[in-house]
Order: sequence, then structure tokens, then C-alpha cells
Amino acid sequence: MIHSPLLRLVSDSAGSPSSLVDRLLREQQTLTAVDRFARQHDQCDQPAQARYYRDLIPLERPRPGQQYAFEVDLDACTGCKACVAGCHSLNGLDEGEIWRTVGLLHGGTAEAPTQQTVTTSCHHCVEPACLVGCPVKAYEKDPVTGVVRHLDDQCIGCQYCTLMCPYDAPKYSKQKGIVRKCDMCSDRLAVGEAPACVQACPNQAIRVRVIDQVQALQASEAGAFLPGAPAPDHTVPTTMYRSARATPLNTLPADFYSASPGHGHISLVIMLVLTQLAVGAFCIGLLGPTWLGSPGSGGWSVVNAAFALALAVAAIGAATLHLGRPQYAFRAVLGLRTSWVSREAVAFGLFAQTGVLYALSLVSDRLPAFPAKALLLGKGSLWAGAAAAVGLFGVHCSVMIYAATRRSHWRAGITGVKFFGTTLILGIAAVTALTAATAAARRGSPFLASAAGRALLAFLLVTALLKLGLEASLFSHLRDRQHTVWKRIALVMSQDLRTVTAWRFVAGVTGGVVAPALCLLAGGGAPGIAVLSLLLLITGELLERYMFFKAAPASRMPGALH
Amino acid sequence: MTDDGPIGRARGLLRQALLQRSGPLTRGLLLAPGAFGLGKVPARAQPDQTTTLTCGFCSTGCGLNVHLQRGEAVNLTPATDHPVNLGMACPKGWEALAPLGAHDRATTPLLRDAHGKLVPVTWDAAVGEMVTRFKAIQVRHGKESLAFISTGQIPTEEMAFLGALAKFGMGLRDGDGNTRQCMATTAVAYKQSFGFDAPPFTYQDFEQSDVIVLVGSNLCIAHPIMWERICRNRNDPTIVVVDPRKTETAMAATEHVPLRPKSDLALFHGLCHLFIQRGWIDRAFVDAHTSGFEALRAGVADFPLEAVSEATGLTVEAIERLAAVIHGGKRVSFWWTMGVNQSHEGVRLAQSIINLALLTHNIGRPGTGANSITGQCNAMGSRLFSNTTNLLGGHDFANPEHRTKVARILGIDEDAIPRQASASYDQILEKILAGQIRGLWIIATNPAHSWINQTFAREVLQRLEFLVVQDMYHSTETAALASLVLPAAGWGEKEGTFINSERRFGVLKKVARAPGQALADFHIFRLVAEAWGCGAMFRDWTSPEAVFQILKALSGGQPCDFTGIGDYEAIDRAGGIQWPLPAGVALEATERRLLEDGVFFHADGKARLVFEAPRPLPEPTSPEYPLTLLTGRGSSSQWHTQTRTGKSPVLRLLYPGELYVEISREDARALGISPNERVAVTSRRATVEARAFVTNTVRPGEIFLPMHHEEVNGLTLAAFDPYSRQPSYKACAVKVRRLREQFA
Repeated sequence: MIHSPLLRLVSDSAGSPSSLVDRLLREQQTLTAVDRFARQHDQCDQPAQARYYRDLIPLERPRPGQQYAFEVDLDACTGCKACVAGCHSLNGLDEGEIWRTVGLLHGGTAEAPTQQTVTTSCHHCVEPACLVGCPVKAYEKDPVTGVVRHLDDQCIGCQYCTLMCPYDAPKYSKQKGIVRKCDMCSDRLAVGEAPACVQACPNQAIRVRVIDQVQALQASEAGAFLPGAPAPDHTVPTTMYRSARATPLNTLPADFYSASPGHGHISLVIMLVLTQLAVGAFCIGLLGPTWLGSPGSGGWSVVNAAFALALAVAAIGAATLHLGRPQYAFRAVLGLRTSWVSREAVAFGLFAQTGVLYALSLVSDRLPAFPAKALLLGKGSLWAGAAAAVGLFGVHCSVMIYAATRRSHWRAGITGVKFFGTTLILGIAAVTALTAATAAARRGSPFLASAAGRALLAFLLVTALLKLGLEASLFSHLRDRQHTVWKRIALVMSQDLRTVTAWRFVAGVTGGVVAPALCLLAGGGAPGIAVLSLLLLITGELLERYMFFKAAPASRMPGALH
Repeated sequence: MTDDGPIGRARGLLRQALLQRSGPLTRGLLLAPGAFGLGKVPARAQPDQTTTLTCGFCSTGCGLNVHLQRGEAVNLTPATDHPVNLGMACPKGWEALAPLGAHDRATTPLLRDAHGKLVPVTWDAAVGEMVTRFKAIQVRHGKESLAFISTGQIPTEEMAFLGALAKFGMGLRDGDGNTRQCMATTAVAYKQSFGFDAPPFTYQDFEQSDVIVLVGSNLCIAHPIMWERICRNRNDPTIVVVDPRKTETAMAATEHVPLRPKSDLALFHGLCHLFIQRGWIDRAFVDAHTSGFEALRAGVADFPLEAVSEATGLTVEAIERLAAVIHGGKRVSFWWTMGVNQSHEGVRLAQSIINLALLTHNIGRPGTGANSITGQCNAMGSRLFSNTTNLLGGHDFANPEHRTKVARILGIDEDAIPRQASASYDQILEKILAGQIRGLWIIATNPAHSWINQTFAREVLQRLEFLVVQDMYHSTETAALASLVLPAAGWGEKEGTFINSERRFGVLKKVARAPGQALADFHIFRLVAEAWGCGAMFRDWTSPEAVFQILKALSGGQPCDFTGIGDYEAIDRAGGIQWPLPAGVALEATERRLLEDGVFFHADGKARLVFEAPRPLPEPTSPEYPLTLLTGRGSSSQWHTQTRTGKSPVLRLLYPGELYVEISREDARALGISPNERVAVTSRRATVEARAFVTNTVRPGEIFLPMHHEEVNGLTLAAFDPYSRQPSYKACAVKVRRLREQFA
């Protein structure tokens, strides 16, 4: 390498020998703006920027029955997105965190095309679904301003609000393990400053108004909100989108046709399938002695109950892993009054506890005496019934968690068939496999050849066929002319997720149809087949549940291309 | 019940554990009064001082109020009092600090080793190697075998240093800038029509017009803050957008004129003809202040309404309506951007707009003007001081008096000044191809992404014996081809001045520390000058502000004379100062327009009316390539090749990650393309894949691709305006097909 001596001929200001490079590097690291350009700032009562936003915020606080609301002048919104960046900077959000977005609607004809950019954030709904769904009461609607605030330190990071909100307003921060969202810059409004987005809009398209909540209710009843946006009747959003222009009937969001996989929520997938397996196995197992001609003794029941309980505990563990802040999971009981998540947590907690009591009661004669033993363990069947009831109620809660989001693809009928279908199929398969294995271990008669075994196999085959058929019927929507949610799901499953889809059906058909059918035709089979069938079915249901989330179309405001 | 007993404490703990209304997470979003006239700001970024910088993205020249803690930038807000942006900024401005912290900043010089890998070296070694290699090339192939490609993104003082160092110190003849890609057309048009490259307007004209005609300009997303100024117009103006696409701006306008791509010259000639025919011109003004009227009248006579309708695809009624709107306006302003500049006949097109403004005397009055909206933050600085096409200060290399003047002021030998202007960007590439240029120095631009017909450009750059790329990032497409990468400090890490679209000087300040060993371009030029052995020539060029004083002296007597601007402090205090401001003239208004006296810069004081008939498109559509490809800005959050805007996580969320192509419903149906499907776009030069955005905002027969994606310029055709040598990015012939069969 050549070291140019020319660069070493200079002296720095102190007169000591120093290379030009060193001097320039030193100079480069010296910040000079303050020294060279010290500024005199007028001390003023109001922020200087107030001159631009003074007319964009209300002078008065809302009266009872009123609240603050955003108003967007669509004719003035031209898609510069300064509101998004201004909100980010003025609120000091994390890298890549945004509370406001700008979408695009387009339509019209070739002769008269239209496009409309739409700025959107939290709508500070009259009936906020985020608040209703929150299991830990981390949301509150300000009684005076109506602003829907999120209590960051209360949040456990379950992200249910991100599913409950139809408008994608709460944003989950993986790094922080909590959700955060727009609070209409309440602290600013409280001192007469405009929210960041209002301050930042060069076209003065966003303002805050005081509205009558009745007005918002009436608008939501009439379905009047914004073309391409989720229906307002669920949460009664208060943002008012105004335009003097007529909106063509064929107006669609720019991202209307984009169908891409969403979040897979793996731990929820595991939690759901395992709880359903546990409840199913427990309940079917209970029926065993009566309906299936006593395939096993008390010992068998213990095995079955223990199996179910172990799964339930594993499922609860998986659910906790899903939380951003699992250490605060215990707060989940707070929302019992409104939140299906709280109810689900409590139900499965009770299922585990009553199940334990039932299992202990089965072996109570082998346990040492302790106070209230008779009271606790005397009536095993009571605990069994209770466990079955809360377990099934827990599955119902799981169904309602998704049904409550009001997303049509998660509506109670469909989610119910899926979740209870899983409960039934995995329950039968588990009981069949456990019984067959127990029988083999005890060198009893082969269970799969027995009448009870054959009945279980037949039942499994029918339920599996029905569930798979229902799932497969989705693909008929690929022929829909309209881009319905069903078509979207079918597109994602048949394109981006086609491998997962294929494995789901391979596993389901092999485990739930081929294996039972072979055993039935052969008049029996090795217990290994039943175990294999169970494992295949668990795999299939896990994949089905993965796609339940992964292929679900997001509910949000009209989006831009992405 | 007491709260201090153990039970009370336990109860308190339980309550806190169950319901925690505040805590560290809540405090993370705490706001605090910002002082300094700011409202509430994030508490952790509460400033102890603020200072205003001119933004470093586009030419609007917004003032950004940077919040400082111990002299270092921690946040920014648009400057409330700044005369340009009136307290607003686009997302790029808001995020201006984010790209400085990118992980791919060049932090040390990188030299390509024997294995072809870029390895870190010291500055001494880097500059030594550069000088040795460049000098060796000059010894073998002559002084002119080196060239440089400059930029509109660095301060004026740095451009001037580069131009002077390269041409006067190192003996180079050819150097050009990326401004060739954005403003060359306008510069030539103004020079020919007005006698000097002088955009005559001030932003107040946006507020004072009653008719605003935007030609080839998607102002709402390309220059959102200029659109803000239109929003401040209280005259309920008629806003006309002349653009093939129904852009955001076309939507927001009151009239949209969706003409056929590149039929604009016919339209304006037709309007000109109509105005002359109907006597809608200010004949007294034309006679007193212009020349060439008769030739223009004769020329445009070939553009009767029917012919124009035929050429543009507009109905006769639509053209008449447009004419009536312009005629009906008392203060009509015409504005254009890249839709005009990036054309195979852009100079004549810009002049056809200028002609119309001159004929109707919509010039030199409030709310009027034939106004070009510049692209880059310092394209205007480049036009005066890059020392490429013009000799420093808007002088002429071919003019001996100008050479004498410049030599005298710089204290250099007159013979060191070349007697002719540089070859243009495209000609430099041709010379590389021909082996006449063997070494190239590229500063703050990214031709491997941005140059038209990119594949060719990359091949050409690879032929160089030694390619020096000076940039903030080591990751640009061009740096990947470099023999040597010099790490540069960026906006906010150095001082200097920019000149915005309305001729306003604005100051850059040092509010952030450059990473590692990165140096201001200014410092790098000093190092190279010393190492080259011409340091003595630049002994007075000690700091940007010292150079600013030299540039002032160079401007003396020119139309851009700014000898009356004191120093950086004065510019800062005034919120920017527009040229001209000759010495001895007091600065009376923050907004000033040119040509109010009707005296133009030609020797006779008259403007020239220039006419030339339209030329056919270089690459018209054909049965094989039936669609016209339009390119342009994708969103307000993207800047050119995205070396910076791609580094802000917020900006990245505001534009599509995947390349999309806008295609009409009609064409999509004919080609069997369903919305959101992946398609292939093919020109005679390349094929790119994109997702189809089926929309009515583009018309049948046309498609649109955003320019920010690297692959797009693989498609474009290297055609140039003959006078400005500016590439014609806006029209080439392509075809589109489906990539794969799918369901439904």
C-alpha cells in the first residue's frame, strides 16, 4: 500500500504534528451546529405550531353523551403519509412501529377513474371490541373524552385485541411483549395541543371534533362508515370520513385482491389442539365403561384421565408461551365479565383441577388418609362430571374467542364444527389407541377386533370424513366470481400454503379414514395402527389449526399495495 | 383499615400486581414540554437546543427543526416558521435522521483486493491508491481518460470543490452529474428561452394563482409540501393536471387532461395556435419582451384542433375547455417536473409551455410563471456550480472572458480551465465503451440502478480500469462494482448550502457524528487535492463556508448574483435567501420572483419563443410490444434508488415491498390477468416480474412501474433529448404476460 507523505505535512491548530487525515477525522466528529448557529427562541405560551392547528381541535370538552373523534376530509387527503411519520416521531415510537396507516381505494371506469387515499388509526369506538375482549382489563374508555386508552403496564401481550379490533388499530410489539396503540394524543389534547397526526398533515385533512355518540350509533346502524372498511355495527367507530365526491359503487381497497398468509400463532395452535384432545379423550374415556362394554378396569380410567390431564397442562403451558409477558398470566382472570379469553383460561384451569380430583378419587383407596378426604375424593363421578362439563365449556370458550371477533370465516358455526370436531375425533382416536395399547399390554383380547373397538373405529371414520369433507368444501370457493373471504382463504391454502394443505389432508385421510377402514375391513389390527392413527390425526389437526390462523384474511381498513 | 400493616402492604402488592396502571412501559411513551416553541415531545428526546437544517431529499428545501441533546440530533420536527414548508414535512423529511444510523453505512475506505473482495484500508492507503491508479491511467491514456459523475445530493460548496479539483487540479475534461437525469432539460430550455437558467418563481405563486397547470407532475406525492402551498391558495384556483395517469394529483385537481403519453408537445403547440388564432395573447407584451413570434406563429399553424385531438387522444371539446380555463385565468401558473424533463423532446416541450406563458403574459407577475419544479435537493446548486456543463457560477467554458474572471477569482492559471463543456452523462458512458475513458469517480449517486437501460450501464462500468465510488453506503448497486469505496458523511453530518427549486439557499449543519472513518465529501476532496499534489490551488478552500465566500465572488455580475448574502448565519436567520441578491441590495422580502420588469437575460433583454415540431417516439408500440411503459415516483416515502429511504423502517412500511405494475382493467382482461397475479413485463432489453395492480387509473395501452425498484431500468430505452441529453424514462414499448396458470 502506498502511504502518501503529502498527507502528513500539516499541523493541527495546537501546532503539534498531525496528519491531515487525523485532523479531518477529528473535525468530522465535532458537532458544530449549536456553537455556530445558536438560536434565540421566543418564549411563547403556546407551541409555535398552534397557528396551523388551532382550528383543527375542539375548544370545548365533550359533554355527557359526547366524545372526541377524528374527522378526515378525504378530499384533502392526498396520500403523502406525513401523518404516519409525524405520529411516529412525535410520540417516540419504536423503530418500525406505526399507529396510523394510509390506505388506498380505487374504482370508477376507464373514462372516469377514481382513487382515494385514506388515513386511518384507532377509531376510538363507542363500543370498543378491544376493551371487551381484553382478558386483563388493559383497556379503558375515558369517561369524558371517549378516548380508548391502552394501559401498557397492565397488558400481558395475549394479542387478543389485535384479533378483536376489526380495524387493526392495536399493534403488538414483539420486543416489548405488549400491544400499544393510538390514544389520540390525549396528553396533548389535555393541554390544548393537537394530536401529532393533526399537527403533521400538510393539507389539514385530519381534525378532532366533539361528536354525539348517538350520531355514531346511528351511522353504524345504517352501515355508513367508509367503502371497503369492515362494517361499523360491531364496534361503532367514531372517525368520520367526509367527502364531497361521489364514491363509485365498484370502489375497492388497493389490497383487496392480495391474499397472503398471516400470522400462524403456533402456540395457540398447540394450545387449541391439545386442550381439545384432552377434553375429548377425557369425555370419551368417561363414556367408555358404560357405552363401550367396560373395555378397561379402574386402572385403565386412571391412565386415560392422567393422559388427558397431562395434555391439558401442556396446553395451558403452550398458551402461556403465547403471551408477550407470561409472568403476568395470572391477570387473565380479571376479564371474566366480558372476555372469552378469561373464561377459557378459567375453564381449562378448572378442568385440570377437577380432573386431578377425579383421577385421585379413582385411586383414593391407595392414598393415605387426610382431612376431608372423603369430601374431596369420595364422589369421583361428581368430579368426572364437573371436569367434563368445564372441559366442554372450555372448548366452547375457545370457539367463542374467535366467534366474538365477528369475522365471518371464524363464525361460531364453522369454528364450533372445527373445534368440537377436533375434540371428538382426537378423543375417539386417543381412547381407541390407549385402550388398544392397554389391552395389548395386559395381553387381553385385541381391542380393535372387539365390538366396542369396531364401534369406535366406525365412529372415527365417519366424523373424520365429515370434518375433512367440510374443510375440503372450502375449495369450491375458488370458483367464486367475487373475491370473498372464502375465496381468499382457498387461494392462500392452494397457493402459498399448498404444502401444508396437502399434508393436512394426507395426515387426516390416512389417520382418520384409511387406518380405521383397514382395521374394520381386516376385522381388527395391531394396537400400533391405532397409535399411528392418533399421531397422524393430531398432526392433521395441528396443520388444520395452523391454517385456521395462517390463511385467515386480516380484518383491517382499506390498505395500500404491499 | 390501614395500608401500612403487613396485610395492607400485601393488599397493595396484590392490587398492583393485578391492575398496574403505570410503570416502565407507560413511562416509555411519556411526553414532556419540548420548549423552544415546540409542543410536547417524547420525554426521552427532550431537546436542550434546536436548530434548523434544510432537508436533503427533494428540491422543495423544507426547513427541518432538529432537536438536539448536547449538540447531537435526537429527533426533528418540521420548522414552523420556515418560509418554504410552514411547519410541515413529508415522511422523508420526518425520517431524515433515520438513514444515518443504517447498518450498511460505509465506515472505512474499502479497496478491492486480488481476490475481487472489498477490504478495509486506511484513508492514506485509499487516497494514495486512488491517486496512483488515476495518474497511471492518465499517463497511459491522456489526461482526459478520467471522468467524474457528480450529484444533486451534496452541498453546493462540495460540488464546486469536486468540479474545480477534477477539472482545474486533476486536468479532467469530462464530468457530469445525476442532475442530467432530472433537470438538464429545464436548464437548457431556460437558458435558450430566457438567456439564463433561471426558474422565475417563488412558492408564493402557488398561493396567488387562480389557474394552476401541472404538466407531468404528481405533486401530491413527489412534492407534497408544494401541494401544501396549493392548499393554502385562497382563490379557489382551477387546478389542471396534464398527465396520462389519474394520479393522486390528478384526483385532487379540478381538471385532469389524460393525454396520450408524449403527445404533450402537440398539445401545447395546439394551445399556442388556438391562443394566437383567437387573439387570446398579450400582443403588446409579446412585441416588447420576446422575439421569434412570427416563426412560432408559422410553426404552430400546423397544429389545428383536429390534429391535436388526433395526436393526444383528447376530444376537441376537452382541448377547447383547457384553453378556455387558461384564457380565463388572471394569474395562470404553469408547473412541470419529470413528465416533461425526462422526454425525447423535453427541451422543446418545456419551451412550448414557456411560449404559452410568454404569449399570455403569465410571467413576472404574482401567481404566474413558466415554472420548473426541480427534483433533487441541490440540483439547482449543481446547475450553477458543478463545473460540468457550465463553468462555475453559471459561466461558459467557451467564453474567454468568463475563464479569465473565474481564474482571477480562484487565483489559478487560466490555462487550467478547459475551453469546452464536459461531455454529457451518456457520452461519458459511450467514451468508456470506446476505451477513451478508463477511470471514473462517482460521488453520491447510483447509476447501476438509476441509469436508463441499466444492463448496458453496468456493462460499461465494469469495463473501467479503476472505479471510485464515494457514498454513504457500501451497499449500493454501484458500490458493488467499485474498485475503491470512499465512505462519505451524509446530510446532517456536515455543513454546506443547498439551493432549492425557488432559488433559495438553505444551510446544512452538523448535528450527527459520521460513523467510523466516514468523512464529509468536502474533506475527501481536500485529501485527494493534497495527495494529487494540487493542494496549493485550494489553500483557501478550508471550510464549506470559506468556499461559500468564493462562490459568492464567482456569482458577481451574473443573473444569479448573490454577493449580497452575508454568511451561513445570515441565511439561517432569514429562513433561507433566494438568489439573486447582489451586494448592496437589502433583503426586503422572504419571497421574491424574477422577471417582474419583463427584462430577460439575453443581451437584448428579450425572451426567445422557440418552436420545433414534435418528433416521433423513439420506440413506438408495435404488435409485438403493444403497451407503453410509464415510469415515475411510487410514493412520497420513496426517494430515487432508495439508498436512504430504504433504511428507515417507518418509510419501508409506507411503500410496497414488492414491485407492482399498474395495468388497466381492459388490458388485464384481454391478457387473462387477474388482479394481484404475478406477471412478466418485457421490453426489447429485459424482462421483469411484478404483481399486477389492475386499476382504472392507467389507461388501456399503458402500464406504470415505480422507478425505485432496481430492475425497472433494465426495461427503459436509452433515448435522449438531443439538446439536453436527458434520458427519456417516461415511454418505451413493452408487453405483459401471465407468469403461471392458476385457479379460477
